[in-house]
Amino acid sequence: MTYKAQFHPGSSDPSKNRKKYMDPEYKLQKIRSVSDEDVVRVLGHRQPGEDYKSVHPPLEEMGEPECSVRELVEPTPGTKAGDRIRYVQFTDSVYFAPISPYQRSWMYSYRYRGMDSGTLSGRHVVEARERDLEAISKELIESETFDAARTGIRGRTVHGHALRLDENGIMFDAMQRYVFDKSTGEVKYVKDMVGQEIPAPISVGKPLPEEELKTRTTIYRADGVTIKDDPEVLEMVQNVHWERSFGGFEPFKEAKFKEGL
Amino acid sequence: MVYKDEKHNFMQAMKKKFEEAPDEKQTKYYVYGGYKQNKRKVEYFESGQQLAKERGIPGYNPSVGMPQGQRVLMPYQLSHTDIIANMDDLHFVNNAAMQQAWDDMRRTVLVGLDSPHSILEKRLGKEVTPETINHYLEVVNHAMPGAAVIQEHMVETDPRLVKDSYVKVYSGNDELIDEIDSRFVIDINKEFPENQAEALKKAIGKSMWQVVRIPTVVGRVCDGGTVSRWSAMQIGMSFIGAYNLCAGEAATGDFAYAAKHGSVIQMSDMMPARRARGPNEPGGLMYGIVSDCAQSMAKYPDDPARHSLEAIALAALIYDQIYLGSYMSGGVGFTQYATAAYTDNILEDFVYWGMEHVKDKYGDLANQKPSVKIINDIGTDVTMYCLEQYELYPAVMETHFGGSQRATCVSAAAGTSVAMATGNAQAGLSSWYLACNLHKEQMGRFGFYGYDLQDQIGAANTFSYRSDEGLPFELRGGNYPSYAMNVGHQSAYTGIVAAAHSARGDAWTLSPHIKVAFADKSLPFDFANITKEFGRGAMREFVPAGERDLIIP
Repeated sequence: MTYKAQFHPGSSDPSKNRKKYMDPEYKLQKIRSVSDEDVVRVLGHRQPGEDYKSVHPPLEEMGEPECSVRELVEPTPGTKAGDRIRYVQFTDSVYFAPISPYQRSWMYSYRYRGMDSGTLSGRHVVEARERDLEAISKELIESETFDAARTGIRGRTVHGHALRLDENGIMFDAMQRYVFDKSTGEVKYVKDMVGQEIPAPISVGKPLPEEELKTRTTIYRADGVTIKDDPEVLEMVQNVHWERSFGGFEPFKEAKFKEGL
Repeated sequence: MVYKDEKHNFMQAMKKKFEEAPDEKQTKYYVYGGYKQNKRKVEYFESGQQLAKERGIPGYNPSVGMPQGQRVLMPYQLSHTDIIANMDDLHFVNNAAMQQAWDDMRRTVLVGLDSPHSILEKRLGKEVTPETINHYLEVVNHAMPGAAVIQEHMVETDPRLVKDSYVKVYSGNDELIDEIDSRFVIDINKEFPENQAEALKKAIGKSMWQVVRIPTVVGRVCDGGTVSRWSAMQIGMSFIGAYNLCAGEAATGDFAYAAKHGSVIQMSDMMPARRARGPNEPGGLMYGIVSDCAQSMAKYPDDPARHSLEAIALAALIYDQIYLGSYMSGGVGFTQYATAAYTDNILEDFVYWGMEHVKDKYGDLANQKPSVKIINDIGTDVTMYCLEQYELYPAVMETHFGGSQRATCVSAAAGTSVAMATGNAQAGLSSWYLACNLHKEQMGRFGFYGYDLQDQIGAANTFSYRSDEGLPFELRGGNYPSYAMNVGHQSAYTGIVAAAHSARGDAWTLSPHIKVAFADKSLPFDFANITKEFGRGAMREFVPAGERDLIIP
């Protein structure tokens, strides 16, 4: 029998969405188009058309030492070219954003190579060679894991994930990198990730309705589905806790402890 | 305050913080006038401009930093008080009460009198009686602040600068204490309920101990390592003076040895070289000791939750704001994390709910054996309750706008609840880690890199008491290996330790000596009302010690 990865326990919508995003065989749904140039503008690391800055010569020119690991692992395009390392960072609202920081880390680990991710409560950063990073960013911004109102692209001054939404249902951003265009119903970026103004607004489309977000989200919530409503998830978490506890120091206590010390 | 008084303890604070109802999900932003909505920030701006002119170097200038006040710069209610404070006033630099809380702990050392009395009687053939002890206490209270006893041409400190320095005694021997001048006594019978007093006296026994408070200013200019040295020097001189000894005879070395090593209780252990701090610095402070500094159980013996919350408030200041926030990290950011544990009655609501839930389920506190079932049941119920409050009340979520703040409060409540159910701190710690995992899974987010790391590895050493693998929770502290760098844990750990013992009705957590030493009305900081004192500091109503006004123009 061939092992089939479950990716995540549970049968609720958030559980199903987690499985979907973590499964590298599943192709993320593309729900908006943002041009390559506009992705570069929002990232703010270089100007569109500007050469990539490099931190070493192309690998082909470097004469690498004999190394079995290097032979096994195919370098990413950015690594081959010697690109510098840059980042993209997202903030996901607690109010039914499509994805949240831990799922980002898990999803990225299944889907992307040559990246280093960092998980915090209010933001998630991923670093990679610049051209690889741009490709990752484009896929993420265009995909179903990004919502115009509940996801933010923020390099610094990131607080907002836990704040109430504004009168248009948009997540707070102290730097107002994006604005809600009432005439079109679209959210438009007017500043790059670190808050520098960009020449022309870049649309990331219309926010999804709340009800649709609830079906797409990976976040369990009391006003949605909680992990208590999805018993397999709760059981898994409790099991993880006890495996860590009894797999640690003084595991011989386990038998006694189960009966009560 | 009991959670059933109102639907939730935090409601009053939420209504004062925000215009909208606590369950309203939307608000307005960018319309509050920036920093000008906050009177303290306006003062800072005006002062910054004035100071730049006076000193010729630019300083405070919000226009070069991130504009403050794009959202409501909310005030904070000190938990279980009616005091509403400005957030800036809860940084220890801006809060004299907070400074004094740590000053009072750092400048304290306990020194036994049995050993020197034995030397006086057995080696030197001197008589030690209540009268001679009273005379000695008069001498040492002259000397301890920095006055001469033996030499005749001596520099001394101005008594007005060091008026907070003194020596008192305590003992489990009621008959002896009755004969000591009451001005020098911490009377256990008066400071504790009868059952607690009896337990404390039994634990302390017939021994007599000195509670030494060196001057606040000395602790600040030097460090915690100075405290026992300053104390020992003045104690040695006082023995020589009070008992007419030869300065330099071998017995004086014995007095010094007793006061520095043989018969001394420091507040905390010294730190290893890479963190290099002497004793009586916060890194070496055990959670059980901080819990014993808090005096809530003596004043409110029927309210174990209050004791736990007060211990958390004190620990948030000492470990998070001062130790990790400044000794280890620097900057100002840690205050924002730490205040979550003692403001707005949010953790209050969680801890009281957990305690009532335990009572509803098991009839009373501390009557369950620690087990997987208890930890799973109580830990999960309390965690889910707390998460629900954040999810159903967006005002609460916005108040704790950082995940680490929520992580601290949710896990603290889960931990204190299990500790109260079992009377076992280790079981409470296990519940903390279970709560961390549940929280992370439910929200898909937790704290920050290092915050989460500590909680992913901690379960493995929860139940170990063996050296290098773990410790009884009461004996862990600021320098326990994986606890040494992360804000927002140690406050709650102290609360969990406190909860286990307060639920059992114990008179102390780890040390009966420390418990008695801080039941002292002469201290500037009132350790029975910690959040209230922080609030008085924020309102600029607290009068600290160690001020220098006397010696400046």
